[in-house]
Amino acid sequence: MRTDLAFGSYDVIVVGGGHAGVEASAAAARMGARTLLVTPDLARVGQMSCNPAIGGVAKGVVAREVDALGGVMGRATDATRIHFRMLNRSKGPAVWGPRAQCDRGLYPRAVRGILDELPTLDLFQEMVTAIAVEDGRRIAGVTTRGGLSFRAPAVVITAGTFLRGRIHIGGEAAVEAGRAAEAPSVALAQALEEMGLEVARFKTGTPPRVDGRSVDFTRVEVQAGDPMAYRFSAYRREEIPEQRECWITWTGPELRRIIEGNLSRSALYGGEISGRGPRYCPSIEDKVVKFPAARRHQVFLEPEGLETTELYVNGLSTSLPADVQRAFLRTIPGLEKARITKVGYAIEYDYFPPHQLHHTLELREIRGLFFAGQINGTTGYEEAAAQGLVAGANAAAKSLSRPPFVLERDQAYIGVLIDDLVTRGVDEPYRLFTSRAEFRLLLRQDNVVARLGPVARGAGLLTGAQEAALEVALRERAEVREWFGRTRLSPDVVNSLRDAPSGEAVSEACRAEELLRRPEFGARALAVAGRAPFRDRTGLLHAVEVEVKYEGYVRRERERAARLRDQAEFHLPEQAPYAEFVTLSAEAREKLARIRPASLAQAGRVPGVSPADLQNLVMEVRRWRSASRRTGLAGQ
Amino acid sequence: MAPRPDTIVALATPPGRGALAVVRLSGPRTAELFRTVAPAWRGPARPREPLLVALADGGRSLPLDRALATFFPEPRSYTGEEMVEISTHGGSLVPALLIEALERAGARPAAPGEFTKRAYLNGKLDLVQAEGIGDLVEARSEASHRAAVQQMEGGLSKMVAALRDRLLALEVLLAYHVDFPEEDDPPVPVGRIVAEGEALAGDLRRLLKRAPEGEMLREGALAVLAGRPNSGKSSLFNALLGVERAIVTDEPGTTRDALEAGCSMEGYPFRLVDTAGIREGGGRVERLGIEVAKRYLASAEVVLLCLPLGWMWGEEEAFLAGLEEDTPVVLLRTKADEGSEADGARPDLPAASPRAGRRIHRTIPVSVRDGRGLSELRRCLAGLVFRGFVAVGGVVEPVLTRRRQASAVRRALDEVEAFVRSLRGGVPAEFAATHLRSAETALEELLGILSPEDVLDRVFAEYCVGK
Repeated sequence: MRTDLAFGSYDVIVVGGGHAGVEASAAAARMGARTLLVTPDLARVGQMSCNPAIGGVAKGVVAREVDALGGVMGRATDATRIHFRMLNRSKGPAVWGPRAQCDRGLYPRAVRGILDELPTLDLFQEMVTAIAVEDGRRIAGVTTRGGLSFRAPAVVITAGTFLRGRIHIGGEAAVEAGRAAEAPSVALAQALEEMGLEVARFKTGTPPRVDGRSVDFTRVEVQAGDPMAYRFSAYRREEIPEQRECWITWTGPELRRIIEGNLSRSALYGGEISGRGPRYCPSIEDKVVKFPAARRHQVFLEPEGLETTELYVNGLSTSLPADVQRAFLRTIPGLEKARITKVGYAIEYDYFPPHQLHHTLELREIRGLFFAGQINGTTGYEEAAAQGLVAGANAAAKSLSRPPFVLERDQAYIGVLIDDLVTRGVDEPYRLFTSRAEFRLLLRQDNVVARLGPVARGAGLLTGAQEAALEVALRERAEVREWFGRTRLSPDVVNSLRDAPSGEAVSEACRAEELLRRPEFGARALAVAGRAPFRDRTGLLHAVEVEVKYEGYVRRERERAARLRDQAEFHLPEQAPYAEFVTLSAEAREKLARIRPASLAQAGRVPGVSPADLQNLVMEVRRWRSASRRTGLAGQ
Repeated sequence: MAPRPDTIVALATPPGRGALAVVRLSGPRTAELFRTVAPAWRGPARPREPLLVALADGGRSLPLDRALATFFPEPRSYTGEEMVEISTHGGSLVPALLIEALERAGARPAAPGEFTKRAYLNGKLDLVQAEGIGDLVEARSEASHRAAVQQMEGGLSKMVAALRDRLLALEVLLAYHVDFPEEDDPPVPVGRIVAEGEALAGDLRRLLKRAPEGEMLREGALAVLAGRPNSGKSSLFNALLGVERAIVTDEPGTTRDALEAGCSMEGYPFRLVDTAGIREGGGRVERLGIEVAKRYLASAEVVLLCLPLGWMWGEEEAFLAGLEEDTPVVLLRTKADEGSEADGARPDLPAASPRAGRRIHRTIPVSVRDGRGLSELRRCLAGLVFRGFVAVGGVVEPVLTRRRQASAVRRALDEVEAFVRSLRGGVPAEFAATHLRSAETALEELLGILSPEDVLDRVFAEYCVGK
């Protein structure tokens, strides 16, 4: 290796400092790899380019999973959140979704502080314009715009929406940009495409932002945060800032008329944007056109930070011209006199269809090159962070000759996310929902540490301090379980706990665990009644309550997961000649050859592969294996 | 190089003398193997066009036969593979020699049902349709035929697919309920989800209710003739079949063994059984025959109790009390042309045997001599056993005809019922939803498909979501 010509040499290089890049570089560094993070603006690591919020249904669980694996996101969120709500609180505990509004300015600073704690991580400010590939198949390093080269056997690209990004504001010429007011990466996009990778385009949008001083708050509804000291981070208690309120208002018929009258000026509807956008995050143009029966649409006004009056107008993303944006905003109660501080815009960008990746997020065609985040066709900070962590861990594992780090679908939402990307591909920007997980009862926000802490420790993803915190958390959990299993409560105590009409009075002492199974008893009340030493540990008690109360359902889910794993264990060889498997349908042959699933279970999730195909696939692979074994012997 | 599936051969028509015999050859080497027996064949001018070819007889100058060969290129054939159907002149020898020659060339004799199995594996039909084809071949009555054709044409598959679709619709409601908590549309009330679940359970129950009759469509309903010796059972058996199958004499105890024959009544399939007359005493052989009769009676779908007009109800009829609780009995006043009208249609039921008497569903005077009562009997039997079908005028909609199908629907129903129960009991929706997923799996197994992830697709189509 001619390191003398390189400006630096590392185990892992991460290109890009968004949520994916931050988690990738931090994960690699925690595993002990000498890591470099290269990004055009070091003041914006972990920048929140869209809504300054972390979490939500499913996404909140992912944020906690990233944290349980030692990640940055949970800590940065706790330290900068200014509004918090537990979504789905009225529904079952398996689908609760913690969601935090953060201070847009503070968040990147918190992230930067956490990165600076990692001794094996170097930061470098510059745009990467080229990557070095040896023998056409192996990554060697990267080169910056200024001509500096860095060498590493593993590189993670997390370019977000920057690859040939174009911003559209209706009626105006499109602007080449990666995010608002930031330059796009054109050279890197070209370099990647020249390696023969398949590339496609997506679009997404943002709403306008307004000056809070111009909003009439007497005309909008207050949405208070939940007054709980909920923390995303399991290993470190950050100081939570003072909290702010959000507000809700509604669009009406006047807004509909304005948008309908100006549709031809929308970049989305005027035909200037070709890529597909997310259906679950439609622009206001989309909402008006596709749901003509809806009389009104909800609009959330969310503060951008503690020390700014700027508000994010959630629900109104648009690519209409600025004058139309101003006109429709003024039809909304409370926003009659609103002054726009930033206009909404749509952005389109390159992504690389993710079926080109292994489950480690390494490219199939180029060894040592990893992709994570929006470059893989996803949306959302949490989805990006999750991929970054997995890509960074695997890049480090590759460099340090450790086993790959892959999470299963029944282990984490992160496993669902990556498996969906790699085996199903994407046809719109991908976001997680609980409905995407077959085993969502197992994947709860209350059990992330027990689920993933030991996994993270095994993979070397935790720092010493995190490992120590994990030990404590696991021990406390075991103590609580053990207390419920062993403690018996007297009939007097039990009967005093229940409301008179519900259930029958008991006449003998009952085990706390048995009582907890019944709908009328809660873990906290039982712990208080039994004078348990941990009776004020609300989060822990909640987790144990869910575990015990719904054990039957969770067991069913586990059994289903186990069955699926059996099926998954039939391994499909990477080099299987699918084109020759003539008992498979033409569609199945084509799809399987492209996606190259690693197991039968993955093959079953590929659209277009029928059960008959799966049956035949097993036969074909067996025949092919024995045939290649025979030819192997013949050659000796 | 992966080995390809082998090429299979079999006689497709019944063996023996006949005008034509059809030999089928299917698999990737079809054209190559066929050429070894028809050297002059150069392939079809057009696919699926029958061509007259000479079949070679080893090295001899005279051909084995002249046959009409229809070549089907992959995938547009019954099996979805390359295939040829060869119509030779019938008989035992020519098809046998032809098959032998094809096997020598490298074809493998097909296992029973293997052509249809390949059609299923190649996606030409789903599992239920494949079963319909099997039923069609076996069909012995108009109603069985209709049920089989409906299955083969995909009627039952469509119905099951529609039920699965409604399960998905329920999941869509739940997905919206769970995944999109802050949307324009208000949350879906749990009451609505419960109501949909109940409606679905109702439809699954209805489908399942017809399953026992559906199963009988395939197998024929067992109708057992019973009664004292010489009460006219065998005469009636022959009359209903339309052929002289059973020996009829005036001598009591003529029928020793049980005789079984398939027949169609009003278009519904029955297995009619003539049994030995039940009485005390008699020889050893007759006693064994009576044991056989009792076994048939135990599994009968309907019992035809013969008692000649004018004979009095007696101890001999007491065996009725021992029948399964829900087995209907039709009392046939046989030899009605001999007895007098004054004897009436009602026998004198002794007070001693009211329990046996209560089992009698209906009384019909019949005579094999003047044919009276026979068509009434046929109508009565069809209406009694195939009650559900007769009520709606026949097999008008798809029906489950196999235990496999019924047990899958039963599992789906159990899960949907558990789903409704859980929701009612206050179990959170996402826990209850595990039952829906299991129900879907059951129906998917019935059809032999895997679940596509289309729940979210439908959420997006039906709701305006997007905070």
